[in-house]
Amino acid sequence: MPFVFRLPDIGEGLDEAEIVEWLVQPGDTVARDQALVEVLTDKASSELPSPVAGVVLTLGGAEGDLLHVGDVLIEIQDGSSGEAQAPPTDPARNPDKAPGNAPVASPAIERPASGGRPKASPAIRKLARELGIDLAAVTSTGPGGRITAADLDAAGPESTASPTTPAPPPAVFESSTLGQMTPGRHALRGVRGVIARNMAQSWSEIPHIHTFDELDASLLLDFRTRMQGMGRTVTPLAVALVASARALQRYPLVNACVEDDEILVHERVNLGVAVATEGGLVVPVLEDADRLDVFATTAAVGELAERARSGSLAAADLRGATFTITNYGSLGGRWATPIIPPGQAAIFGMGRIADRPTVVDGAVVVRPVLPFVFGADHRLVDGDLLEAFKRSIINDLTEPLRLLVGA
Amino acid sequence: MTELNMLEAINECLHAEMARDDRVVVLGEDVARTGGVFRATDGLFEKFGENRIFDMPLAEGAIAGASVGLAIAGLVPVAEMQFLGFAYQAMHQIAGQVARLRYRTQSRFDPAITIRAPFGGGVRTPELHSDSLEGQLANVAGLKIVVPATAADAKGLLASSIRDPDPVVFLEPLRGYRGIRGEVPDGEHLVPLGSARTARPGTDAVVIAWSHQVELACRASDRLSEEGLSIRVLDLRSLVPLDLVAIAEAVDSCGRVVVTEESPQTGGFGGEVVATVVEESFWSLEAPVVRVSGFDVPYPVGMVEDSYVPDEDRIAAAVRRVLEVA
Amino acid sequence: MTRPSDEQRRQMLVDMVSARTQSRRMWNLQRQGQIGTMAPIDGHEAAIVGAVHTLDPSCDWVLPQYREPVALYRYGPEILEHVMLYNIGHPSGGHIPAPIRVLPHQISLATQIPHAVGLAWGLTLQDDPGVVLVFFGDGSSSEGDFYEAGNLAGVLGAPVIFLCVNNQWAISTPTHLQTAAESFAAKAAAFGFPGVQVDGNDVDAVFDAVHTARERALAGQGPTLIEATVYRLGPHTTADDPTRYVPVEDLEAARQRDPIARLRAELEASGLWDDTVHADVEAAAIADIDAAFEKAKSTPLEPDAMLDHCYSQDTQRLARQRAGMLSGLGDQDAGGRIS
Repeated sequence: MPFVFRLPDIGEGLDEAEIVEWLVQPGDTVARDQALVEVLTDKASSELPSPVAGVVLTLGGAEGDLLHVGDVLIEIQDGSSGEAQAPPTDPARNPDKAPGNAPVASPAIERPASGGRPKASPAIRKLARELGIDLAAVTSTGPGGRITAADLDAAGPESTASPTTPAPPPAVFESSTLGQMTPGRHALRGVRGVIARNMAQSWSEIPHIHTFDELDASLLLDFRTRMQGMGRTVTPLAVALVASARALQRYPLVNACVEDDEILVHERVNLGVAVATEGGLVVPVLEDADRLDVFATTAAVGELAERARSGSLAAADLRGATFTITNYGSLGGRWATPIIPPGQAAIFGMGRIADRPTVVDGAVVVRPVLPFVFGADHRLVDGDLLEAFKRSIINDLTEPLRLLVGA
Repeated sequence: MTELNMLEAINECLHAEMARDDRVVVLGEDVARTGGVFRATDGLFEKFGENRIFDMPLAEGAIAGASVGLAIAGLVPVAEMQFLGFAYQAMHQIAGQVARLRYRTQSRFDPAITIRAPFGGGVRTPELHSDSLEGQLANVAGLKIVVPATAADAKGLLASSIRDPDPVVFLEPLRGYRGIRGEVPDGEHLVPLGSARTARPGTDAVVIAWSHQVELACRASDRLSEEGLSIRVLDLRSLVPLDLVAIAEAVDSCGRVVVTEESPQTGGFGGEVVATVVEESFWSLEAPVVRVSGFDVPYPVGMVEDSYVPDEDRIAAAVRRVLEVA
Repeated sequence: MTRPSDEQRRQMLVDMVSARTQSRRMWNLQRQGQIGTMAPIDGHEAAIVGAVHTLDPSCDWVLPQYREPVALYRYGPEILEHVMLYNIGHPSGGHIPAPIRVLPHQISLATQIPHAVGLAWGLTLQDDPGVVLVFFGDGSSSEGDFYEAGNLAGVLGAPVIFLCVNNQWAISTPTHLQTAAESFAAKAAAFGFPGVQVDGNDVDAVFDAVHTARERALAGQGPTLIEATVYRLGPHTTADDPTRYVPVEDLEAARQRDPIARLRAELEASGLWDDTVHADVEAAAIADIDAAFEKAKSTPLEPDAMLDHCYSQDTQRLARQRAGMLSGLGDQDAGGRIS
């Protein structure tokens, strides 16, 4: 193999040279360091000496040619193979370190445990604050034990996003910030962003059907009054919750959802209850509602509502609902089209109980009437199931004593 | 233990180190016969004589360059720059030679050189006498930068610096010479380089500081504690080597950080601290890091000096800002 | 006048011829892309070798600029080995092992002059016998370090020999644009010690002047500034083109004063030298540099060698950078805890 001499950078950063004059020809015998060629660069004219002794084989260009650094300049048969060695760049392994006092490497940097504080990026921390979520109660699934956005979604947004809420502004109390925003563009993030995302997801994924009706609330109100007389507190909402739990036990397909092309029928009956607070609508969850009687339900809902309004709900309180009830009537509305939260198949909305003319035994009379709406995921719930499910709840609300009779 | 001010602690250390090791020599302008313009080297000439401590010609480059030669000869030079700002006259020797002697010669020599210099503001000095150059020096690989904040640390860190086989720039706060007093251990007292110190414990936020700013940060912390706030103060003590572990631990525990320094903000060492905080403890941060520093102007004249140097009020205000982030 | 002996003169010619031979070999290596920029020695041999031959390597130090190291055989074969390591850009190039009293190349002009003063001062403080010979050029004498160091040396009376090799050119700047002083030696007046001019092409004159300065220094009489006048017969470095500024007639005249030719003629006349001896010296010089080059090229280089010897012990940050470099994952750029 011939020795290949490539044009080196001879002037601290030059990248090309012109061949001025060849001082040897193919066939000539040359000694090491013998001048082979004169080249011209930006800086100077230089003679390039041969790195090896041997016989010239080929020239890399003619006089007048411009060569770039790295181009073959000349090939010389020197009986060995290879090229002029540039200074070694491949590190050679050597157990002995450089001469002189070898540095003592400091020990591996020990990091103390950070004392149990939750780890999350500043952006996630901000979002959690806005959602009212305590990071300490969130399960983290991110690298290094970090809390991710998905972890927050799992913790809060089903409830904090309150997709059950339709538009009507709260009439019960006016927040000074209600409906306030300056003209111009604003980032859609924080609580609003979470709600927006969940609404969009539910609306696009769940084919909603809604059915509207009213019921005679006379016996319901009478039930409440008679319980009060006996020193027990019972709310229409609590009756509705118990009725819902019974109906869900009766028709498990409504206590379900569509997830990843599968029907997921929930094992437990957890009822989300929408509560209006100064910070917006939150939906704490009444777990295992099928095990609570109407008194326990009343107490539990009261406690949840109190904690919601004082901002002391934990992330766990907002998770895991399988069915939702929204008492939008407390805000003063009559009809609505509530949106089913992701992970559920149906929603029950109750309007405001008000006196209305109604027909009893052929005569027009004034009765307290409870308007209501049921929304359902039409992938799972057809009209006949929805009617049956609805009928069960309506019957219990119309005659609360049925709760004593059992499913 | 004896209560001393920083100057007395430094002087005590120099006496002890010169007595302990014959190879230690002191050189600088006015250091010998008058004992230093601040009396930091007081008494050394009388005790050790003209072959151990030297009044140098007014040539900072020669002071730094001669120190290189003295170290090659096997001595342990403790050179003084009369004020850190005048180290500019010696930068080519400090950065190009002192810092590189070990690297260039692959440890043929131990550049056991200590360069002492007073710096820092609040004392109405003329131009260039108060400038904080530690950020610029920290970017010179091969130098160590040591910044004591207490009298005890001045003694302990100077002893460690003199004994360190690498070159150390030892910065002494002008305001601290007489203004910082404290209990100083008697006898041999060594504080390791590269180790930060918690000057005040706390959990709500941490103020990271060095040199005289530590004193001010502590006062701010004490004042804020009267309002029930728990503000940690981390005294870095060494800028190079930097105690990454201590910074990480403090920020992981507190989640909110204020960094304070006297130098102009752009390119100040505070930026290095903020980068370290972000690298080490990003996931623990509850709020953006706040820097308190001098402004991006040359160190100003006396009449406006007090508005330039961060004081206790500015530090406290920065702490409040960082706590405000919900 | 102190004259070197015949044997010393013969040995000096061996060193001078070897230096030029090896310098030319290095030039060729640079032109072949095998080593980096180098400064050829042609024309400076007598000034360097004549000076160094007055010294006692067991106690005297030599602080070079960057042209001299190839001529320091008096201090041992290790110097050439480290010159070649330096030339290939290996970190070990700067490590001239103890107890050799030579410092490595100094690229920052004149900065070695205050080092020399501090070193000489340090020797006297420890009653360590020996002088420090520091080389620098005409250009370097304009740097502040020359004046600060000269001034300090005068005050201290330190045993330093300031040897300014005036080769008439600082790259392309001729001496009349470098200073208005009547000579470089005259600048010693500012420092308070003697300044001496010698013909740098005359080894005997150089030997005598430096020997005298050494005696003065050893006797505690302080420093001397010696200006050795030579002519730079080649380019400043491999990156320079002197045809752009050196008058051809000046160069031709200087070639007539070539220090090697001059000493060779004298030794041949005394029967101490001939063509065969000359050829043998050149061949031996080539063999030595080839061996040193091969040894340098096969010197191992650890993948993290670049990080060694900045500090006596890694800082936390440097340790992390080292780990990142060794892991090959580029983690040294990953900052802290990314995960």
